[in-house]
Amino acid sequence: MRIAMLVPGLAPHDAVSNDALGMTVALRSLGHEVALFAPHARGIDEPVHAPATLDAWLRSTTDVVIYHYCSSWDFPLALFRRARARRVVRYHNITPPEFFAGWSAGYVDECARARAQLDAFATLDCELYLGDSPFNVADFTARGVGADRCAVLAPFHQVAQLAALAPDSSRIPDAVPLLLMVGRLAPNKGHLDLVDALAACIASDDEGAHLLIIGKLDPNLASYGEALRAHIQERSLQSRVTLLHDADGAELRAAYERADALVMLSQHEGFCVPLIEAMALGTPVIALASSAIPWTLGDAGLLWEAADPHLIAASVARLRRDEELRRMLRERGLKRYADAFAPAPLARQLGQLMGRISTA
Amino acid sequence: MSSNPQHDYLERVKAEIRAEADCARERDRVPRAEALAPAQARACDDGIDRECLDYAIGELTDAHYSAFLDLAFRALLKRPPDDVGSETQVRLLAAGASKAEILGNLRWSPEGRRIGTRVRGLLPRYALAKLARVPLLGYFVDWGIALAGLPILLRHQRAADTSVAARFAAATDAQREHDRRLEEFRIGLAALGVEHDRHFEAIGDDIRRALLRLDSLEQRAQALEGRTTTLEQVSATSARELIDQRHHVLTANHWVVSLQRNLAELEDAANAQRARTDQLTATIKEPAAESASRSARHAGWAGELATRLPAASAVLDLGSGDGAWLDALSARGVAARGVETNSVLVARAQARGAQIALGDPLGALTRCADASLGGLVVAAHTLAASDTDIAELLAHAQRALKPEGYLLLRLEQGATRLVGTSSAMLDAAHWAAILRGAGFDAVSELVATSGTALLARRP
Repeated sequence: MRIAMLVPGLAPHDAVSNDALGMTVALRSLGHEVALFAPHARGIDEPVHAPATLDAWLRSTTDVVIYHYCSSWDFPLALFRRARARRVVRYHNITPPEFFAGWSAGYVDECARARAQLDAFATLDCELYLGDSPFNVADFTARGVGADRCAVLAPFHQVAQLAALAPDSSRIPDAVPLLLMVGRLAPNKGHLDLVDALAACIASDDEGAHLLIIGKLDPNLASYGEALRAHIQERSLQSRVTLLHDADGAELRAAYERADALVMLSQHEGFCVPLIEAMALGTPVIALASSAIPWTLGDAGLLWEAADPHLIAASVARLRRDEELRRMLRERGLKRYADAFAPAPLARQLGQLMGRISTA
Repeated sequence: MSSNPQHDYLERVKAEIRAEADCARERDRVPRAEALAPAQARACDDGIDRECLDYAIGELTDAHYSAFLDLAFRALLKRPPDDVGSETQVRLLAAGASKAEILGNLRWSPEGRRIGTRVRGLLPRYALAKLARVPLLGYFVDWGIALAGLPILLRHQRAADTSVAARFAAATDAQREHDRRLEEFRIGLAALGVEHDRHFEAIGDDIRRALLRLDSLEQRAQALEGRTTTLEQVSATSARELIDQRHHVLTANHWVVSLQRNLAELEDAANAQRARTDQLTATIKEPAAESASRSARHAGWAGELATRLPAASAVLDLGSGDGAWLDALSARGVAARGVETNSVLVARAQARGAQIALGDPLGALTRCADASLGGLVVAAHTLAASDTDIAELLAHAQRALKPEGYLLLRLEQGATRLVGTSSAMLDAAHWAAILRGAGFDAVSELVATSGTALLARRP
């Protein structure tokens, strides 16, 4: 089968790019011919074709186009309307614009436009709507797409490569307990709640508690970065919070190794790759049960219905003193990763889905 | 009933964590007793014991000079000495006043009276000290006190002589020990001087070697500078060429951007035109008589098709229009999926619950897997569309239909079309010949009012 992988952009350390590249490798190992199409790409060791050449590349009605839908882009919509090949919408979810209200008008517009395309794609009756999680798939079933046209496949990732790196802890705080948050600085990620949770930790028995935030800050969200810094200052926690905007893989590896817990209080996630990084590397997880997080984490972490600072602080304290709990969460995390998210089961599921498309 | 022990354990842990969090929340609400403790501790840290109001005079007279005054102020006035008060009492001490008189001055000052600290044994001593201040009488009082205390003074003098002699002997021993250590230090210093000179010479040798190495490096740097100059010249030439190339690339890029913009404008215009056409088409009202006739016609055709299809057959309808034909099939128990190009009609039909998608009919057919359809229906206006390749459509119909599957051509004027279908395209005999030529058999005509359907079987 000839498969075109259409992506809005390709770059290293990007979750959507990792998924597209991982799918490409897996599909080639299954014997398919796969080509990547993107309007721009950097740092990718792979030929990338211009989207304008995609029509010419498709030769047969049995060819497949997989579009990675994560932003507003009119080109795939027009292509899917005219293409006679089989069409797959690989949906990574779009953050609802409400989260960005008051922080960035540009983000509000972009997210609103991107989410508006959900209706258009749902009307096209594509051969497969492939979500990262059941939470993502629900966006299409709620718009009338039949369940027989939908499927869930967790995203491909770089966790194995991360685990193979030698840790570099030169910039990682040597504090106990160390709370870790991984993810870009955005209003839906719950950083302000994290700071409150850190304050609660310090007010209780964990006086040495420290929060390490690893994630990039988009200049368009500078106001959110300023608000986070102001919140830290209000709480007099400047010396207790470390922000790393430029951490590399080796530092991320060291952070997971040293952290007492990954604390994920994000209010909207389509999948949440840091959760499986933590599971694969044996770091206990404390998380808010929002959006796709309960499905991704399963029973391999402490899930809470609210981002209550006292609840988070009590969870950290319990994890520190309860070795049996740490061991159990670590074992569950490793098992969930191996069963559901390791490259081998993902490649197997993808192979089954391709078989389903070919007989659709 | 079975339960997972690990699940139970996690739930129990979570319940305990919730309880701990509730306790922490409660602690936050109530002012904490231990929070006050540091403030109290700070109050005692200034060395004033405000609770103690009873002293023996001996407790206050052991210290001397400023330490004595500091202790007296803190014990009797419960505060550190201020500059003026401290200076006054120091002057009195320097003038030969006794400690009892100083203590009495503080105790019976207005401030001391307010506090009322008791000092056992102070009152008679203070009274005698004050009596000694009375002119003439004071002189005799001093004499009396001196004579009475003479034996005690002699005993103190002998004890002092012994103490001084003992301290002098200890000081002499300490002086000898100090001299011995001084001598050892001088010997050590001389040895260090010798060692220092040796190191100094070694460092001098290192510096000379480093200077020689520096000379060699300078020569190499000069050689490199010559080569760098050559490279800079080459680089400058390359940079000029690069600027030219950049100019060419920017020109090409500008042209591509203009092209993309023009294409986008053309696409927008085409989309707008299409939307207007769809909207206008959707506004066409079919006369009631024709509508009734069409419903009857569709019911008949749907019945004929339903009788020929096995149960649960997949049926694809190309050019579903307003979805009325799909409704007729549905009424006969045939689960059909439709495809239509008019977005307004599709939205209307979907709102009614019809299984219809927006898209290119021929594209939808080409995406169907081989032998996956029990039935295929094609509307006349789909056949008549300018971009429909009839031969390709029939070839895909042969491929996508199961053996014994049926193709139904609806040769009727569309209810909602801007331009009618030509009579040649509605000629049943003409289409029957085409279908036979394309490999279909059992071609039959289903004649009805204002329309004919052709039913053909895939062998």
